[in-house]
Amino acid sequence: MSAELTFDTASHTADAIQRAAYRFCDRISIELVSDEAAHRCTLKPVGDASLDALIGDFRTEVLDQVLRERIRAETEPIRTMILAQAFSKTGVVDSRGHA
Amino acid sequence: MSRFRQLEDFQPEAAHWELLPFRFERLNGKVLVTNMVGEHLILAAEEFDEVAEKRLPVDSALVRSLRAKHLIRQAGDRSPATLLALKTRTRYRRLAESTGLHIFVVSLRCEHSCPYCQVSRQSSDKERYDMSPEMAERGLEMAFRSPSSAIKIEFQGGEPLLNFGLVEEIVRRAERRNREEGRDLGFVIATNLALLTDEILEFCARHDINISTSLDGPADLHNKNRPRPGRNSWELATDGIRRVREALGVDRISALMTTTKASLDRAREIVDCYLELGLHGIFLRPLSPYGFAIKTKNYSAYDAERWLDFYREGLAYILELNRKGVMMTEYFSAVILKKMLTNREPGYVDLTSPAGIGIGAIVYNYDGSVYASDEGRMLAEMGDETFRLGHLATDSYEEIMTSEALLAPLEESFAPSAPMCSDCAFEPFCGSDPVYHYATSGDFLGRKPESDFCRRNTAVFKHLLGLYESDPSARSTFLNWAGR
Repeated sequence: MSAELTFDTASHTADAIQRAAYRFCDRISIELVSDEAAHRCTLKPVGDASLDALIGDFRTEVLDQVLRERIRAETEPIRTMILAQAFSKTGVVDSRGHA
Repeated sequence: MSRFRQLEDFQPEAAHWELLPFRFERLNGKVLVTNMVGEHLILAAEEFDEVAEKRLPVDSALVRSLRAKHLIRQAGDRSPATLLALKTRTRYRRLAESTGLHIFVVSLRCEHSCPYCQVSRQSSDKERYDMSPEMAERGLEMAFRSPSSAIKIEFQGGEPLLNFGLVEEIVRRAERRNREEGRDLGFVIATNLALLTDEILEFCARHDINISTSLDGPADLHNKNRPRPGRNSWELATDGIRRVREALGVDRISALMTTTKASLDRAREIVDCYLELGLHGIFLRPLSPYGFAIKTKNYSAYDAERWLDFYREGLAYILELNRKGVMMTEYFSAVILKKMLTNREPGYVDLTSPAGIGIGAIVYNYDGSVYASDEGRMLAEMGDETFRLGHLATDSYEEIMTSEALLAPLEESFAPSAPMCSDCAFEPFCGSDPVYHYATSGDFLGRKPESDFCRRNTAVFKHLLGLYESDPSARSTFLNWAGR
């Protein structure tokens, strides 16, 4: 038994889908094939897992990964600045806390 | 010289807010959000959507809560970044203080024959299984090379009291050496107490030595787990605990339990046994997947779910006791709560990242071999020397601390850059355990969806957060544990 899910490339990156797939690797094996328009995932259950129940969870996880990706990108500069300030006394950060 | 900054340095420049780095996990309709240092909020799913889509008005109560937890900041507000940097530095402060715990395996011999024991030998061959004075001296040299301002020397075995003469020698030499070094020097003997004598107690009292012992619960359970000639391990251990408390003081002894299959239905009895002996803390820990525990199939006797049931039942009982005014602490929870609710890093080696191997604790084996952790030497007893860092007779401190056997597992298992861990909202509460994952899955990282380490820790984090959010009495006890 297997199922195929399609995610458009305009809203989803392969990285987000792969991160979601990794989180599910104990329950589903996932094959990802991408072209310019879409990522096509073939999902197969591992062991006795029920595929129907997992498909919805996997879709939600992909959406969460897209959101995580956005948060990572949006907060990357300040994250880098905080880490630089935390670990460096070499003047990477000026006295007012700017990178 | 530093001085206070001007007030305007802390004033926001604009009246809209922006995200600070955070991670999230969904929990039964709610969403856990944690920042870089583990400060967190649990939001309703709708609230989380409002944050993610930036629909929250700047003057809302939730914005104030999110700002207080450094999950968002008002645009132009510089103090959250400065404070997060300070807290991050505090979390990783221990790295500059490596290595604090030095374990000397003074003998591999033991008069017990516990079926799950990873390393011990029943032998009278001192020549073969005892540490030599020369290796002990080299071990001390190595210990004092550590930059740590606090050095704890722990004597382990086998049964270290079988080579107590060497324990005395190491203590005396370390104290002599420390007159020049001025470190915060401490000693612990990990013993089953069966061979305890008044002379040993007198020495421990004179040199401020703490005792760590093993106690698995009521007599029948303990004696079944820990067979010895005379079948009186529990009687000797409990008598020893009483004598140590009398001779050294009530807070100078702690006990560790091993959870075997026979323990799983007896959480309350085990806690009661500790209390009856005046021990007000217990570590409800699972069996480790090393050495003879795997060989004798003890490790596979129960899975993570079964241990979690045991842990939850024990914790519920301990919380019930605290509600009645009986002071009792569950140490595993206390370590996690300290990470969840404070900025202090308790330094518990299984819940730190980078991992605690080598840089948190290091092991000098009876034969002079140096291991990255106690579990690493247990693997070596099974013939796998992956975590052997070198030898006291042939390798320098620099060679050992920069060996590939140490650096590779530290680097490969570093949670903030590990698959799944790097996204996980629980990561600030968790740690890396390369030895565990190597033993169970063959590589330092392990695949976290299949890892019992991940499954067990995640379930414990969820359980503790759930109790903290829903039970005011548990919350009060947890704040107390975290604050110690």
